[in-house]
Amino acid sequence: MLSLRELQLSFTTAVLDGSSTAISPWIRADGLSPTARVNIYRNNFHEGFLKALALGFPVIQRLVGEDYFRQLGRLFVAEHPSRAGNLHHIGCAFAGFLRDQFAATPYSYLPEIAELEWAYQECLIAADAVPLDLTPLQSVAPERLADLRFEVHPACRMVSSEFPIVRIFCVNQEDRDGTELIDLRQGGDHVLLRRKNDAVELHRLPAAEFALLRSLSRGATLGDALEIAQAVSSEFDLAKTLRHLVELGVFTAVQTT
Amino acid sequence: MGTYSLNPRALSAQARGGAAPASSQAGIGLRARHHREILQRRPPLGWLEAHSENYFAQGGPQRDILLQIREHYALSLHGVGLSIGSTDPLDRTHLCELARLIRDFDPMLVSEHLSWSSAGGRFLNDLLPLPYTEEALTHLVARVREVQETLTRQILIENVSSYLQFNASTLTEWDFIAALAQESGCGILLDVNNIYVSAMNHGFDPHTYLNAIPRDSVQEIHLAGHTLNRVGSREIRIDTHGSQVSEPVWALYRTALRRFGHVPTLIEWDTDIPALDVLVAEAAKADLIAEAARAVAA
Repeated sequence: MLSLRELQLSFTTAVLDGSSTAISPWIRADGLSPTARVNIYRNNFHEGFLKALALGFPVIQRLVGEDYFRQLGRLFVAEHPSRAGNLHHIGCAFAGFLRDQFAATPYSYLPEIAELEWAYQECLIAADAVPLDLTPLQSVAPERLADLRFEVHPACRMVSSEFPIVRIFCVNQEDRDGTELIDLRQGGDHVLLRRKNDAVELHRLPAAEFALLRSLSRGATLGDALEIAQAVSSEFDLAKTLRHLVELGVFTAVQTT
Repeated sequence: MGTYSLNPRALSAQARGGAAPASSQAGIGLRARHHREILQRRPPLGWLEAHSENYFAQGGPQRDILLQIREHYALSLHGVGLSIGSTDPLDRTHLCELARLIRDFDPMLVSEHLSWSSAGGRFLNDLLPLPYTEEALTHLVARVREVQETLTRQILIENVSSYLQFNASTLTEWDFIAALAQESGCGILLDVNNIYVSAMNHGFDPHTYLNAIPRDSVQEIHLAGHTLNRVGSREIRIDTHGSQVSEPVWALYRTALRRFGHVPTLIEWDTDIPALDVLVAEAAKADLIAEAARAVAA
């Protein structure tokens, strides 16, 4: 007699890996082969997964077409099955998967788009928080400025790319016909995604501003982040940049230690 | 964790104490595409049921809009991903998310499925059938108790549609779910469509199922559409939630009302989701049938 544990492991193998040898003897045939019965579940499983994946990556689906998206999705789930009872996390590894699929091909912009779409989805469900205004910064003594550390708003993500992903993303929204030609050689973007008033905004930042923000988001002091930003651009204007980032509502707290 | 009684009736009172009780009107499953319209029009519905996992967000628009909807409607939370029948350890993160949702939305009912969806850490995110054995019953009773103790409230367990049966089963599904309710103190969410689908797929009389369920254990009824598919030489009914409730299922609903009295009833529709009015009309049809049943009983 198969234990409940063994039954569930064998059934999972049949649905995910397509091998029903182990589970079949334990299923009543009753006019239909056990494999055909398992295949009903296998089909439901794939349909559910592909539907959820397409909800998270509508631009990728539009770029590659529905049929090819389904092929990609089936390959993807075989390598990266869902690890949770809710489907919010299934797209986490999709950009990395596409990177492996399309490395050194003319389609290497696809993983970058996937990364942007994933960041967008993460922003949508991230926590709410009150953004910081300029007041606490204005009272910091100049000699202490370099030691400041910032907390970045939970509904912010940063993505940088080799290709013009913001344009590709915008042109392929539902309300656009997607026929606009985009020169892939026009260069990449440094994108800040920020959820505001229930919508996720995409902001293209100058390279140095992006470098500063990325350093700060990783816990660097303002002094260290400034050095990195200045290495990107010698004309970097710290005061103007901080004002801009605060206006965008990027920070929630500042620590003076 | 507070102490609480495992007496089903005491739990039932506790479960319903915190929130507005359902009105006598039927409700519908809440789907994202209807969020705004429901807020703008406020259709006459008894209540709304949300899939718990859809709102497992830390913040953002989905959660915000559910809070707004909650101001106008009673709400129930219906889980599709806890994998309560799995032999993997219960996912505490998932349970904590659910507990947070319950705290924030004060639902009148909280339900899960008589199924499993994961093994060895891999999730199929589907409602998979159990073998109806003493081993599985013991496991399910312990799991339901663990969930109820963590959430400090009663949950309802819903019967699922199935497309296969395990030859290890020694109990019928109806005896299994009745025993589970009795031994764990959970309530039953009776999905009349699922009973019909499984009855047709496996060749049992759906009335036998209804008659085996204890009268006072059913706290909610689900109705939905299904499809008839041909697989090889067999007809198989699949629980797609993508069409109107079929006539035989309405007939079975009438029978269920005679046995269980008035129970909060919900229309579910999950694929090819139609205009809100179609769902409101299905709920109104359920109301008419329930009224007629009450008139006969009186």
